[in-house]
Amino acid sequence: MIEGILEYLNQTEVIKTIVILGSMGLFFVGLFGLLSQRHIIKVFISIGIMEIAVFILFIGLSFQKGLTAPMLGDAHTSFVQMNDPIPHAMILTAIVIGMAVLALGISFAIEYYKLTGKNRLDQMNEMKH
Amino acid sequence: MSSIYFIALPLLFGFATPIFAKFGKNGIAYSSVLLQASLFLLSIQLFVTMDKSIIEVIAIAPPLGIALILDNVSIFFVMLFTFLVLMGSLYYLKLREKNPYQNEAKFFILINMLLASAIGLVLSSDIFNIYVFFEIAGISAYILSAYRKTPKALEAGLKYLITGAIASIFLVFAIALIYLHLGTLNLALISQGFTALESDIKLLISLFLLIGFGLKVEIFPLNFWVTDIYEGSDAFTDAFFSAVVVKAYLFVFFHIVYLFLPHKEFTLFLLYLGAVSMLIAEIVALRQTNLKRLFAYSSLGQVGLLFVAFSMQEAVSITAGLYILLAHSLAKMVIFLSLASLFEKYKKEDISLFKEMNSPFLRNIIIISMLSLLGIPLLAGFVGKFLLLKSIAFSGLFVLLGLLVLASLIESVYYFKIIGFMFSKEERGEKFSLSTLQRAVLLTLTLGIILIGIAPFLISDFIATASSVMIDVRSYQNLLLGAN
Amino acid sequence: MNIKRDISTTTLSSFTLSAFFVLTVLSILLQNIPQKLFSAGDSLLKLNSDQGVANAVTTVVVYFRGFDTLGEIAVLFIASFGIGLMLTSQTHGDKNKVKSNFMLQLGARLLFPIIILFGVYVMTFGHLSVGGGFQGGVIIASAVLLMFVSSNHFHLSHRVVEVLETFAGISYVMIGLIGLIVVDSFLGNFLPHNISQLGLLLSGGIVPIIYIIIGIKVGSEMSLIVQNMLQRSDND
Repeated sequence: MIEGILEYLNQTEVIKTIVILGSMGLFFVGLFGLLSQRHIIKVFISIGIMEIAVFILFIGLSFQKGLTAPMLGDAHTSFVQMNDPIPHAMILTAIVIGMAVLALGISFAIEYYKLTGKNRLDQMNEMKH
Repeated sequence: MSSIYFIALPLLFGFATPIFAKFGKNGIAYSSVLLQASLFLLSIQLFVTMDKSIIEVIAIAPPLGIALILDNVSIFFVMLFTFLVLMGSLYYLKLREKNPYQNEAKFFILINMLLASAIGLVLSSDIFNIYVFFEIAGISAYILSAYRKTPKALEAGLKYLITGAIASIFLVFAIALIYLHLGTLNLALISQGFTALESDIKLLISLFLLIGFGLKVEIFPLNFWVTDIYEGSDAFTDAFFSAVVVKAYLFVFFHIVYLFLPHKEFTLFLLYLGAVSMLIAEIVALRQTNLKRLFAYSSLGQVGLLFVAFSMQEAVSITAGLYILLAHSLAKMVIFLSLASLFEKYKKEDISLFKEMNSPFLRNIIIISMLSLLGIPLLAGFVGKFLLLKSIAFSGLFVLLGLLVLASLIESVYYFKIIGFMFSKEERGEKFSLSTLQRAVLLTLTLGIILIGIAPFLISDFIATASSVMIDVRSYQNLLLGAN
Repeated sequence: MNIKRDISTTTLSSFTLSAFFVLTVLSILLQNIPQKLFSAGDSLLKLNSDQGVANAVTTVVVYFRGFDTLGEIAVLFIASFGIGLMLTSQTHGDKNKVKSNFMLQLGARLLFPIIILFGVYVMTFGHLSVGGGFQGGVIIASAVLLMFVSSNHFHLSHRVVEVLETFAGISYVMIGLIGLIVVDSFLGNFLPHNISQLGLLLSGGIVPIIYIIIGIKVGSEMSLIVQNMLQRSDND
């Protein structure tokens, strides 16, 4: 019984469907948070969740069953039967950039809160005429 | 000479700032100006010696690695950006004596990073590399707009950052889908494979690209946040946003549209999006009283006009678009730089500033720039608008023609309102005059506007070649793929 | 339960909107699950054999797509000094600090050199095994964070961090420019590299050198971010 389930889950199509469902679920959480929340930190958290969802989708879909990590080791002495290294490199870059932008955003929010005591997007009205 | 210097040297300057800071108070300011001047001279030299497109390979040859492409259209943007940033920096040399930014070194780093990333966006031929430059330009712009640390500036910075972060998520999503379905990041290979994709996936990718870039190129309806940013930031940094950053994003967006999605339906959609964007921006601008906000709306209107010009997908209208872009960049640089001095002097940002101001020189150059934006003959703005309206009329899109003429009429209302304020007979304070350097900078930019207006034939060959290169997808592909 | 009273209109409308958007995207993605195709990455794997680097992701990050990484370092650098710009001017948040537990202080001091050593290991062996400059740099920054948590008086010397990051940034671009002069391509691999050296610490030409530089840069920038976020400055 369990073996049957595992075998079913081990199909490429099933794995990828699970990845898509899971990551888009995460994306939904982030998008919903972005649209419904007005607290600045919560908005940043929502943006972070959306970013992570896209990364998971990309890494999950570019992964091929049966191939190993793109790295030589004891069992692998040549660069064949390995996963595509470019998505890893791209996501490594994107993660660092996303982290940098969010950290900067939090520093803006801290400074803004210190100056005005406001921490919500809908309270931001320095420029209303 | 190689085009990599335009990106590597500003980055090197940024990383090496602590060393330059050792040369006294002015060390960084002068070395930054020196760097920008040499980059401008380098771009001139490349332009003069260039007889065919130059492809600069980084690490490995194009289909796999990243390459920078310097062709007739990208050299136009490189020259424009280096020139404008140089002019802005020269202007700041005097501005900083009265009202410097705190931690000035960081300010100079940001300006140079902005220059490097704008040039990188224009030159790069790899979509993920474009994303990286998109982020460098974005993050420098966020900090620049929040630089003064007043509540207004921080609010502007936060809004800019949040919209920018959302834009980058959708851009990464689009790039991920492109890589998953085409297995490449090279623009030429993507453009070859893109038409063969499933239409659903094509729709999704173009939607995400439109959201990602649309938030950055300030197109309706994704531009609700732009005017707050212009108002919250300094007038001096607004000059760079309006004249350099937006133009770089605009070029990349249309470059990608020409390469991936040259379908008539999609570009017709962009065409009307641009027209509607222009009309709405001009209508809303009518009732603005804050000057930065007013000129921000005027920028949005001009972006709409540029959208129309570039979406026509004909060499003539792209020529018109490049003329409009050039005229708009020069005029907005003049206006925002003059506003920076005026705000600093009169301590108000309201439109009634023009009733108080007493500076014939500034009054005249601002009037010339506004008339050029309106498209009065013998000024730079006229050439582009005339060519554009002509090509629209030839295509038989009379509804569009009507929309654009209506928008221009509305635009003229508030410009003439400002001109009326300038000549109103009210009590004016003592005469306000700029330093020689600042006058020289503004005069150079204004002379550029007049010269292009009187003698557009001086650059017409160059711009016509640039526009034919910009739309020629086939030769771009051959250039990029035939190199190995 | 009264739905109308308990759930606000904003929540409902944003829920509907995001659900609609995500379901549309989801249905398109599920109908077009990407098949395995010969991608640029597979060609790079083949090219990887003559680089003398065991970890193919490292080669891609540092060499084949090194230009992206330079841009990424620039983003991190800008963000780090932007945070410094934003958070240094105000008063220090040190007023209501509690003295940390003795065990925490002792443990942190014991662990600090070990974590640093581990970070340096991850950094220097990035081209031979799992790891690399980004990971190593972040590990080093985590050691710094641990010290910040354990001690109220710990602070990084601004001079030292500045020297480190300036050195790392300049040498990264300079290595790129040397490559431009020597092998006629920016960030080109101008040092000897081939498969026979595989497994040596100094194999792969410029790859391990650049990754160590990245590690120094990331470590110092992240530590600066941590210090600025805690708002603890040099002079207190």
